[in-house]
Amino acid sequence: MSINVGYFARESWQNFQRNWVMSLGAVITIYLSLLLVGVFLITGVVVNGIVKGVENKVTVQIFLKDGAATEDVDALQRQLDSDPQVETVDYTSKAEALEKFKKNMGTPEIVDQLEGNPLPASLDLALKDPRQVRVMAAKIMKNELFLKVADRPDDPARSLRYGQEIVDRLFAFTRVIRLIEVVFIVMLAVVSLIFISNTIRLAIFARRKEIGIMRLVGASNWFIRTPFLLEGVIQALIGAGLAILSLAAMRAVIMPRLAETLKFLSLSLSGGAMAQISIALVVSGIFIGLLGSLFAMRRFLKV
Amino acid sequence: MIPMPDQQAPDQVISAPRTGPLMINMRGVSKFYVSEKAALADCDLEIGSGEFVFIVGHSGSGKSTFIRLLLRELLPTKGQIIVAGQDLVKLKNWKVPYLRRNIGCVFQDFKLLPNKTAFENVAFALEVIGKSRHVIRTQVPEVLRLVGLEEKIDSYPDELSGGEQQRVSIARAFVNRPPLLLCDEPTGNLDPQTSLGIMKLLERINKTGTTVLVATHDRDMVDNMRRRVIALEGGRVVRDQDRGVYGYVD
Repeated sequence: MSINVGYFARESWQNFQRNWVMSLGAVITIYLSLLLVGVFLITGVVVNGIVKGVENKVTVQIFLKDGAATEDVDALQRQLDSDPQVETVDYTSKAEALEKFKKNMGTPEIVDQLEGNPLPASLDLALKDPRQVRVMAAKIMKNELFLKVADRPDDPARSLRYGQEIVDRLFAFTRVIRLIEVVFIVMLAVVSLIFISNTIRLAIFARRKEIGIMRLVGASNWFIRTPFLLEGVIQALIGAGLAILSLAAMRAVIMPRLAETLKFLSLSLSGGAMAQISIALVVSGIFIGLLGSLFAMRRFLKV
Repeated sequence: MIPMPDQQAPDQVISAPRTGPLMINMRGVSKFYVSEKAALADCDLEIGSGEFVFIVGHSGSGKSTFIRLLLRELLPTKGQIIVAGQDLVKLKNWKVPYLRRNIGCVFQDFKLLPNKTAFENVAFALEVIGKSRHVIRTQVPEVLRLVGLEEKIDSYPDELSGGEQQRVSIARAFVNRPPLLLCDEPTGNLDPQTSLGIMKLLERINKTGTTVLVATHDRDMVDNMRRRVIALEGGRVVRDQDRGVYGYVD
């Protein structure tokens, strides 16, 4: 077996030297395809972050009546906090609510004209899955404690706010965005598979004579295939490496500027996500390289 | 059966029955491609171990199909082929490379790798079947000496004449000492003088006990050598003769 390892190494290296133009073509094709896929994956991650940021702004606000018993409010807060659906429950006092209101209004002077503080205190719920907001609201509406402390016990629905008017449209919109992402990435993956296997096919076609002779003198199919597969994997690794380097450079240069320009969106790309994308590129590169080689070789290896 | 248009018509099949062990045994072999017409029809043939046999016939007479069936590049539509003790119809696909290690092959267009020297071309045949470097270093120069190319061992194919290239290709086919050597028009691209040298070489290889099968158009060669001749026409064996001649008027 030791001789075979030497043979494969020597043969692969010689083939690379002799057919480096073909190899370069394959490497560049793999590089560009993976770069495109990578750019889309990153865009996907960033857009996903934005969508999540927007979705997380969907909360349930419970308005409390003035002078609601503190122990009742505390009990309600504890009860909600223990609900598995709930991420956090924050208490906002009347004064804090006014402060916030002032900050959000462009002209705080108008607020100063108000007599006293008309704003109610509130409990703000963030949910683990913001899409469950309607279900949660319905659940709260039936809660006895809630009815006790609600701002308007006669009309409990008006003591709750969760963006009734916009949630459905918002979530429909984010669903479409996610779907588009997936469709694009799948399309790109298919296109790159075709691209890459075609390039490898060309490289193999250029050497069909050699393969024919190998078959003639009785080389086994795996013996013929292995150097080509190795080459495919090496090309895929180089291509993937280049793509990852380019993506990292892009991230370093473009992301800060983009975040600067689009301050109102929560733009971010964590190192972890980047590492995951890198691994995905390497794995899919190798997969595509192997699959492309195998496909391309099939017709030359018919017995 | 189509009658032969020559003087040998009355005794079409006059070869003596084979007595020794058989290298090739065909029973009722037919091969149809897509069309209705058979490329090879109902062939019964026995070729003994150590024989030297010419296959003659016009283009399209079935010679190439015959060779490709023996190499198991094709499977027969009907019938049974046994080569070197292996039943080709029952042979599993993955075992085909091992069959081919027992069959040397020589072609009209040499099929040498242009970027390898004579030595490397011959060594390649041993490398790809996993022979050790030691075996390669001893066997390759030896077989190149046998074909008369010890001087040109490091020459590339484009530095060799046609006859020399064919010698390299014979050396490659023979280096593994296969019991059967198939030659498809081995002298098709060569001048008569060079062809004679190639034929002498094949004869010498035959003397070592290797069965040699030569498909050819080369009338002079067949007439001179006086070996067994199998003539194909329209996919049928129309003549099988010990010490035969080419027998066609082209």
